Amino acid sequence: MMDKQIHLWAFLQGIGFFPSGWMHERANPAGVFSMDYYARVAKLAEQGMFDAIVFGDQLQSRGAGGRTPERMAMPTLDPVSLLTAMAAVTKHVGLVATVSTTYNTPEMLAERFGTMERISGGRAGWNIVTTAHPDTAPNFGEDDLPPKDERYRHAKEVVAKACELWAAMDREGPLLPQGRPVLVQAGQSPDGRDFAARTAEAIFCPAANIEAGVDFRSDLRTRIAAVGRDPDGVRIMPGLSCVLGGTEEEARANHLAILDLADDALAIEYLSESLGCDLTAFDPAGAIPVDTILDRTILPKADIARAITPAQEKGTPLGDFAANFMRHPRGHNVFLGTPEQMADMMIAWRDAGACDGFTLQPSYMPGGLEDFVEQVVPLLQQRGRLRTEYPGSTLRETLGLPAREAVAA
Amino acid sequence: MTRPFILSASIAEVAFAVPESAAPILYAAEAAGLDLLVMGRSGARPFDAQVLLAWAAPLTSRLGLVATVPASNAHPFHVARALSAIDFLSAGRTGWSVVSEGAPQGMGEDMVGAARALWDGWGSDTLILDKASGRYLDASKVSASNYEGAFFKVAGPVNAMRPLLGHPLLVVDGDDPLAVADADIALFADGQPVPPASKRLLKVAPDADPAEPMARFEAGEIDGLHFTLTDALSQLPVIGARFGAPVSARPSESGDLRARLGLPIPSTASNQPGGAVIPENA
Ligand SMILES: Cc1cc2nc3c(=O)[nH]c(=O)nc-3n(C[C@@H](O)[C@H](O)[C@H](O)COP(=O)(O)O)c2cc1C
Repeated sequence: MMDKQIHLWAFLQGIGFFPSGWMHERANPAGVFSMDYYARVAKLAEQGMFDAIVFGDQLQSRGAGGRTPERMAMPTLDPVSLLTAMAAVTKHVGLVATVSTTYNTPEMLAERFGTMERISGGRAGWNIVTTAHPDTAPNFGEDDLPPKDERYRHAKEVVAKACELWAAMDREGPLLPQGRPVLVQAGQSPDGRDFAARTAEAIFCPAANIEAGVDFRSDLRTRIAAVGRDPDGVRIMPGLSCVLGGTEEEARANHLAILDLADDALAIEYLSESLGCDLTAFDPAGAIPVDTILDRTILPKADIARAITPAQEKGTPLGDFAANFMRHPRGHNVFLGTPEQMADMMIAWRDAGACDGFTLQPSYMPGGLEDFVEQVVPLLQQRGRLRTEYPGSTLRETLGLPAREAVAA
Repeated sequence: MTRPFILSASIAEVAFAVPESAAPILYAAEAAGLDLLVMGRSGARPFDAQVLLAWAAPLTSRLGLVATVPASNAHPFHVARALSAIDFLSAGRTGWSVVSEGAPQGMGEDMVGAARALWDGWGSDTLILDKASGRYLDASKVSASNYEGAFFKVAGPVNAMRPLLGHPLLVVDGDDPLAVADADIALFADGQPVPPASKRLLKVAPDADPAEPMARFEAGEIDGLHFTLTDALSQLPVIGARFGAPVSARPSESGDLRARLGLPIPSTASNQPGGAVIPENA
């Protein structure tokens, strides 16, 4: 049974997976500025036997085309601070913070994570990212991001140096319970996958359906074996959002109700944000302004063109395109159905080798997390696929990973 | 309002960085009536004080949580974010103390200027959070910071929020003074020039005789005391017994740290007068 155990992470950034989630009646947008809220959701995650809580991170304020969107939930408090505060009110749940190697020195990183690791009793994890948003550079006195291959090359050096610094910290003070934080990666490109294969002990990725999950996990396991590491020593944790209901119809209705919270203005704001290009001046009933988008977007133009062309050819109005885009945030699996169907789906993915577990992204917060913990967790436990107690005290033990190994060069 | 007598202490032992040591020290500091606990100090930096403060926030309810921030091994964008988060988590109880530790001349001052500019990129009443209208915030209250100093150039605004305190309390230390306007709290030893600040705390030994410092407080010469702890668990109860009475006799303990200690938000934040206001949830 244990080898088919489902690992669970909770991605609890902000106010939910859907851009309209903050307006849900069971969402608490004021709460994300209070400790009471973080204490409550941290305890819920622990009650649900999650391995870890994960926070993503950006190092720039939101704003497409130099504007600040008024309709989108916005401030993201520092994840290391939030997760470390959560450590004080929980005992077992792991704490995975996203931190960029491009805009932190190894010394800063080692000191922050070393402190987090000690004060949490060995529950720290580091989601290593290289930062892709061009608006970040001016916050660090630079005009442009370094090119991607350079960012990954630099990331390798930063991780190696941080590992040295942790070894030194371990010798000079109280022991770091895990020796160093669990190394996590999120990235899709070939560069990102190679980096993950060499470095990561767990990987967060999108997989919209079971086939995509199998493809990603098989590819990563091949890459991991190719660098001489054991693929069973790496957990692959695709994102999973959900809207539940007592029946399938009810779940679909609940999904529509969340989407209905969004007006055209929010949908177009979300699309603008995602493309990095202000589209708010265009008529929602008019054509998609493809030329403007391709001219102004800060993202790879070829990818954007490929995503927009089918809608353009069909003559889809901008408002409909934006609304549809918002239904599938960020390419993750969005499950609609009953708690039983959800448990079945999760078990099927696990058994098919599509993942080692899931990174749950509740559609709104904290209601979406409550529903999952109350309704789906007990079903997984009854079927023997989810633990009923934590196996140890450190994140590495919780993930069932071997003691730390050296990072492949 | 009577003038508050302020009690402060600093701790820099690496042993503090594990929960078994840290929690009892936090509880002892609150029990002793401390207003401020400064984590880390110049020349001794065995942990990241900002991380420890985040952990301390939910375990304490009145203690001011002051992080020592090294100018040379920190970046204002990260510092402004972390302190903003801790200020929300602690419901308005954060402070910071920038230490030079061999950083080039002026870097500490630049750190303070940059972080303040980042916080000031947000108005105090930016958040709307109105579910019915779908307006999350008032975009007219958010602006780029575009800070440019000798060492740091930061566009901003910070992607956190203006802290509840507006700016966390800025603590300056006579041992490693910074030339900044509008510091909130100065720590100084007898015989040392007092860095300019709204409140002056005299450094005394943890076993000091209360008579003389209390007389100096009554005379308006100082606003309170600062202790450098070396063995916190045994020293804090002694400090509480000797000096805690005027703190516990204060009429009101409600409000954030600025309100409690009588410290207005510095006038350098005049374009954004108050601390962040979180609207009642719709
Ligand atoms: C599921 C997922 C989540 C991610 N989360 C973050 C994040 O929170 N912050 C960030 O800077 N990058 C994030 N990234 C991107 C980075 O990991 C990566 O540095 C960037 O995308 C460039 O590399 P890539 O092209 O290999 O993905 C995420 C990527 C994926 C696939």
